[in-house]
Amino acid sequence: MSAAMNRALPLLAAPVAFFIAFFAVPMIVVVSSSLMAGGVPSLGNYARVLLDQYHWDVLAATFRIAGLTTVACALLGYPLAYYLVRVVKSAALRRTCVILLVLPLFTSNIVRSFGWMVLLGRNGLVNDALVGVGILDRPMRFLGTELGIVIGLVYILLPFIVLAVGNALAAVDPALEDASSDLGATPFDTFRTVTFPLCLPGLMSGIVMVFTLAVSAYVTPALLSGGKITVFPMLIFQQYSTVFDVNYGGALSMTLLVMTLVLVGLAGWIGNAGATGRKAQ
Amino acid sequence: MITRLLLRVVSWSVMAYLILPLLVIVGSSFTATSYLAFPPQGLTLAWYGRMLGDSSYLAAFGTSTLLALVATAAALLLGVPAALAIARCEFPGKKFLLSLLMSPLVLPHVVLGAALLQYCAALGLMRSFTALLVGHIVIIMPFVLRSVLPQLTPEQRALEEASADLGARPMETFFLVTLPQIRSGLASGAIFAFISSWINVELSIFNTTAEMTTIPVKLFNYVQYTIDPVIAAVSSITIGVAALAIIILDLTVGLHLLSDRR
Repeated sequence: MSAAMNRALPLLAAPVAFFIAFFAVPMIVVVSSSLMAGGVPSLGNYARVLLDQYHWDVLAATFRIAGLTTVACALLGYPLAYYLVRVVKSAALRRTCVILLVLPLFTSNIVRSFGWMVLLGRNGLVNDALVGVGILDRPMRFLGTELGIVIGLVYILLPFIVLAVGNALAAVDPALEDASSDLGATPFDTFRTVTFPLCLPGLMSGIVMVFTLAVSAYVTPALLSGGKITVFPMLIFQQYSTVFDVNYGGALSMTLLVMTLVLVGLAGWIGNAGATGRKAQ
Repeated sequence: MITRLLLRVVSWSVMAYLILPLLVIVGSSFTATSYLAFPPQGLTLAWYGRMLGDSSYLAAFGTSTLLALVATAAALLLGVPAALAIARCEFPGKKFLLSLLMSPLVLPHVVLGAALLQYCAALGLMRSFTALLVGHIVIIMPFVLRSVLPQLTPEQRALEEASADLGARPMETFFLVTLPQIRSGLASGAIFAFISSWINVELSIFNTTAEMTTIPVKLFNYVQYTIDPVIAAVSSITIGVAALAIIILDLTVGLHLLSDRR
């Protein structure tokens, strides 16, 4: 025990000291300033955040956008992951697709959102195509709408879900699926009772990742909202960059952090409950 | 059969959706028009020339690169010992420590950025390179841990013990036995860390100034006011860097994603 401690201590001293100094303490500073108003301890900042209908509207918009983004990512990402892992036979093609999947992940949110600013504009390619094909009579407004933000966020976060599901799927032994169909199950039954449950942990971790990133996204909504829609991270940024009210800003930060952590915890709990429930069956 | 076809159509549409915006940016950076046009009209490298003539872009590229390199080096120097301790030693609070070190992955970067702005202001480091650097180290360390930890297996530990039994000093064992075995984890962790720092906006934006800024923050501030082909040219360069990083990653360690080869 103490021998192990003696070996661990020199290895851990620097990283732990660093994380305390530049992660834990700054976060504690935010928490403590969120609990101060006018130089005295107070819950006034939280009251200001939580008793104002405007904040609830912003929170609702933030979570609505994040929720839609997550659902769309799962619905689009799952088939692609399945296709790349189970249907594509050529290793070279799969490798190319993986590179193309990772490339957006390695590119800044700015650059990727900026691409959508160009595509979704009034005279952008998307409107030209929709009008050209005859789906729309006249160009539709995407920029400055929640739909525009969702399109941008889905684009940015989709690779996470494809990779999470795909890696889970790649780890499933195809022999299990073969056994199921040998025993007379239809392809759909095999998918429903064998493949899908085995990939569920991968899907859940992808969903949690996408949801947390969507809730805390600042850049994409800022660029695609055209100043018309406010999401929660924008409120935080305003407080620190222009108003510089660290007490009120701290309360906003903590509100976002707590909500995110609660949702992550909830998703993890649902995922675990689902997994154990299935094992018990 | 219908399902197969549907699956194929959906998959290729999604792939197209993923590639299209990047194509649009790279394509429109070559346009001869003074506004962004895709498909590009005419073909010119003038916007790249304009970018190279603007010292503020070069300075931002310099800051971004230096920041990402120093932050990655520091994350490796702090992260690898931490990973060794977590994989090799039993101590109380180990689980808590690991979640603490991994938590920047789920923490909203805007919150951490705001916290570091306030904290560094109190330390007199507000909007300095140091303030940027410490934040970047915090958010990229999880990538190092995540790729190194799985490689520190019990089998690998047996080799370390053999090395120690044969009389190697701990440092010799680390450099001659441990390091070569975790090389691929180090490489992929380092590349993910580098890129995460190189593309970060949400954290950097709090501690940059008009003079000292990173390339994504500069782009962000610029794009909100004007959109012109210079932006597309700068963006294309960053896409190029990303592509280069992925190809290096694929050729050196291999992107073992979506394949059962592990």
